[in-house]
Amino acid sequence: MKNKLTFWFITSVLIIIVGYSLTSIVILPVLTKNILPKASVRILEDKAKSDKKEKNNVVSESSDSSVSKSSKDEAMKLFELRRREVFLHSQLELANEDSMYLVLDLANNVAFLEMKGIQLHECHILKADISNSIKMYHTESLLNWMAEPFTVKHIDATIPKIVFIEKIAPKDTIEANKASAEPVATRLGDVFIVMDFDRNLRLVISQSEKPDDEGQKIISAMRAKYSQAEIKKSVQALIKLNREPAMPQISIVMPKTDATIFYKALPVKLKMIIKM
Amino acid sequence: MEMEDKKERSFLSVVIWIIPLLLLSVFVLMILFTPDFQNGAYKVKSWFTGPMVSDEAIPGRVERLTIRSQRNINLIESKLEMLKPVKPYIVVNTTANRFSLRNIDGDTIRTGTCSTGKNEILIAGNKRIVFKTPTGLFAVQNKQEDRPWIKPDWAFIEDGLPIPSARSASRIEMGSLGDYAMGIGNGYMIHGTLYQRFLGLPVTHGCVRLGDKDLDVVYHTLSKGSKVFIY
Repeated sequence: MKNKLTFWFITSVLIIIVGYSLTSIVILPVLTKNILPKASVRILEDKAKSDKKEKNNVVSESSDSSVSKSSKDEAMKLFELRRREVFLHSQLELANEDSMYLVLDLANNVAFLEMKGIQLHECHILKADISNSIKMYHTESLLNWMAEPFTVKHIDATIPKIVFIEKIAPKDTIEANKASAEPVATRLGDVFIVMDFDRNLRLVISQSEKPDDEGQKIISAMRAKYSQAEIKKSVQALIKLNREPAMPQISIVMPKTDATIFYKALPVKLKMIIKM
Repeated sequence: MEMEDKKERSFLSVVIWIIPLLLLSVFVLMILFTPDFQNGAYKVKSWFTGPMVSDEAIPGRVERLTIRSQRNINLIESKLEMLKPVKPYIVVNTTANRFSLRNIDGDTIRTGTCSTGKNEILIAGNKRIVFKTPTGLFAVQNKQEDRPWIKPDWAFIEDGLPIPSARSASRIEMGSLGDYAMGIGNGYMIHGTLYQRFLGLPVTHGCVRLGDKDLDVVYHTLSKGSKVFIY
């Protein structure tokens, strides 16, 4: 009898937990509208007043998202134009700054390092994986999400940004001659980069080459660290009965040399624009 | 008979306990794969909705917005065009120790290896001298042929020599900057080198060293004010 009661008690508790989790994780995202965080659109300072007015009109009119049902093609054409406009607007905003920025062209699988609108370095993306939470929103909410350049909040990588060698000045010429050695090319470490941007975007860059044993260990440890953090976040969200906004992730694979070049060249307060 | 009954009961109790165990494992799996679960959920949603475009009808609005959007695109494109360099420029990659000389359309005129900063800190007493090529946007400020190198203090410290007075003749060294030198500000230059075998390696004190042939082309292509991008 006691055994039976325990069984039903445990089973009911588990059913409630599983039911809640299913609702929260699967059913609600299916039934409800997206919750991609919106960008706060800023107007460029150097824009003329008339431009401002025009832009504001466009933003407000477009955010209404009202398009004709009868002309889906026209609506899609408008969406493509708006997408291009949003991208160019962000590009212009960054080109006006004195810093390098990253451009992810996922439509053509290319990544650029740009400054002042000039492509400094170009790299072919060998593989790109985009979250379904991004892929399915071909609408104004996606444009609102991408309306402004993404600003990095946190960068983690398996390689250092810059390595300085410290050398103590020689006392005399004999010591100086002893210390001078033939320069050698620096060895490239295995690359795995995780960048967390505002609006919940995460960009993961991995190298296409197979890492060596030591590199594999470091990369696995970093992957494990992030998956543990994800699990912790999910459990906390479940406990607090709190539905987190969508956490889109873009994972790209590129050659090790390019990944290193990008990582070393990118500024600490990196900004990024995406074209897709 | 009783034995059989007992066996059946124990079998049933085992089967019954499998149910909570299964539920528990489902829960654990869901937690473990939460981001994937959510992604899956979005995918399920897209099966029903397809690519979403709002469909509230307001006649003529799409056309008006399309025209506005096109006009905005043209405006931004013209502004981006205005930002482009009006003279040929050079792009230096300090990680790969390579350069690319480009014309105003962005087409590459010449590429090759170069040498950039060795990322070293020289400690001399309380002083810490950093040998690193600065990154960012610079401009050619001056151009000079057969420019002598006026050795700064660190050159003497590095060689273990006493630092001479500011106007000492021992500071002047001929030929070490190659045939041409272009100043880009703060004492940094693009110049030639006596150590051609080190091209492609990070060996300099911050300047950008080019091979003789490359330097000749770069010097005669870039003019005062030409942009120098270093990353």
